[in-house]
Amino acid sequence: MSPRPDPTQQERMLAEDDFIVSKTDPKGIITYGNRIFIAISGYSEEELLGSPHNILRHPDMPRAVFKLLWDTLQARQEINAYVKNLAKDGSFYWVFANITPSLDRRGEVIGYYSVRRKPRPEAVQTVAALYRTMLDAERKAGDGQAGMKASLAILNRTLEEKGMGYDEFVLGL
Amino acid sequence: MTNLSLGSRIHYLIAAILGLFLAFAYFAVAPKGLDLRLGLLLGLILALFALTLWTSYRILHAIDRLASNLQLAAQGNLDQRITRIKKGAATERLSWALNDLLDQQEAYFREVFSAFDHASRGQTYRLAMDQGLHGAFKDAMTRINVSVESLGQVQQMALKEKLVARVTDLNSGNLIQNLRSIQDYLLSMTKELGTVGDLSRETAGEADASRITIEGIVADLNRVAEMVASTNAQIEHIHEKSTEITQIVQVITEVADRTNLLALNAAIEAAHAGEVGKGFAVVAEEVRTLSENTKDAAATIAATIESFGQATSRMLADSQEVKEITETSRATVTAFSGSVRRFAESARTSFQQVSRAQDVSFASLVKVDHFLFKQNGYRVVNQGMDSPEARAVQADHRGCRLGQWYYQGQGAELFARVPSYARLEAPHAQVHSHIHQAVTLLGQRWQSDPEVQAKVVAQFEQAERASEEVVAIIDRMVDERHHTRV
Repeated sequence: MSPRPDPTQQERMLAEDDFIVSKTDPKGIITYGNRIFIAISGYSEEELLGSPHNILRHPDMPRAVFKLLWDTLQARQEINAYVKNLAKDGSFYWVFANITPSLDRRGEVIGYYSVRRKPRPEAVQTVAALYRTMLDAERKAGDGQAGMKASLAILNRTLEEKGMGYDEFVLGL
Repeated sequence: MTNLSLGSRIHYLIAAILGLFLAFAYFAVAPKGLDLRLGLLLGLILALFALTLWTSYRILHAIDRLASNLQLAAQGNLDQRITRIKKGAATERLSWALNDLLDQQEAYFREVFSAFDHASRGQTYRLAMDQGLHGAFKDAMTRINVSVESLGQVQQMALKEKLVARVTDLNSGNLIQNLRSIQDYLLSMTKELGTVGDLSRETAGEADASRITIEGIVADLNRVAEMVASTNAQIEHIHEKSTEITQIVQVITEVADRTNLLALNAAIEAAHAGEVGKGFAVVAEEVRTLSENTKDAAATIAATIESFGQATSRMLADSQEVKEITETSRATVTAFSGSVRRFAESARTSFQQVSRAQDVSFASLVKVDHFLFKQNGYRVVNQGMDSPEARAVQADHRGCRLGQWYYQGQGAELFARVPSYARLEAPHAQVHSHIHQAVTLLGQRWQSDPEVQAKVVAQFEQAERASEEVVAIIDRMVDERHHTRV
């Protein structure tokens, strides 16, 4: 796989009526992407298939968000999250992602199904500000466990102030 | 032919065309021999055949893949997708269209599942997201969200009802226990009040008897005082008379002294007369002796009278004292008689109050019995038809504790003569009838039938109304018994 591209300030937008669909195996390796995904990410289908999903990870994203995401999925729960993604050409695009685990008949995880929709711009503003403070905390703490803890603490404090759970908070933005 | 697959049919068709072509080529070539141009043409045609065969094979393979994917989708497996789709391939659009369809379907079902899953846990904020869905999927999602919202509300209501039902059940369970403890308490209180009532009745009787006794004592004392007063008067009279006697005795003494002096003078004169006076001297001596005797007797009388006077003086003093003591006793006993009268009155009042309290506590006891019966009826809703509560409410209005009290027990004994007694029977029988009907309805499938539920509630409501009347009549019975007596 080619090295991760340098981010630019160029923004790509999802159309109102479209959604990105992708599937991964239990380890996060992409097994399917729809045409919207291929078009907006800038990668070809060949390039996407077999690659880890995190080739799209933007450096502005706090790691705590992905930890929360994986923890939730491993508990076999759905997760909703605002995510800033990195396209192949370095541009970015914001999505509101809904990821659900795919289970076999015995209840074992056989993969994940992700639908990503165009987020409301106001919600993106709120989330971007929150992510910035979380990211700062992570960087200040030197990116270890301490950073993760500090970052999650910021998220939890925000939720506490609103008196909501995480789900209710993101779905209400 | 009809049993063959499309691929086989195309292959057979191509093979048939090729066979015909080869036969045609043979008949074309055989008479003249093969010339170069004809050979090239035949070669070209053969090559085209080969290409057609290859292309048809590729298309057929792709269609096969699509068909098996569609087959899986038809079986409800929306997971698989066609990947590595060649740009410009004949089936490119078909493949993506199938993928898009599956994406729409899978996103739709996952959204619906998530939304209902959350709603069923009362989390109404998680609506199904219709953004990115198209046409019928989007329309269906909009309608489904209405259901999700109402399901969420129903779920919350159901949760609330569950809590209410559990709390109510807990409450009524405890209420029954509480009522039972009140029942025990009232029972022992009624017993104790019975004892207190007996005691206060005895006290009131004894106080009345004491009052009568004391009034007798007061009358006796009055008589004693009167007698002392009359004795006193008589003693004073005697005292006066004795003074008179003393004066008379003095007169007698003086007469005796003078007589003595006269007798002495007579004796002297007799001596002067000598022998002649001798007889006179004897008379004079006798007179002197008589006067001496008289004087002595008078002195004895005086002494007697004097001691008599002393005795009457003492008697007078004594009887004065007796009079005073009697007066004091009479005042004390009169005051005591007043307190005994008041005591007797209050004993009578407290006997009446205790008797009323006893009736009130008896009435409360049968009311509690009645409430317990009703509570058991309510408990059947949660406890079911096999519960002890269901068996407890089988009693009719004669067999229940209130009924036993009313028809055979203290209710009949104490209250049969008050006007409200007769009015209790009808509403009491109604309470039983309505509770019985409610419980019978609870034996049906009321959980899923709102009509039966409404009937159950109506029966309980009617039972409550009749029960209010029962309670009011019991209160009136107690009032009537005591207003007529007090």
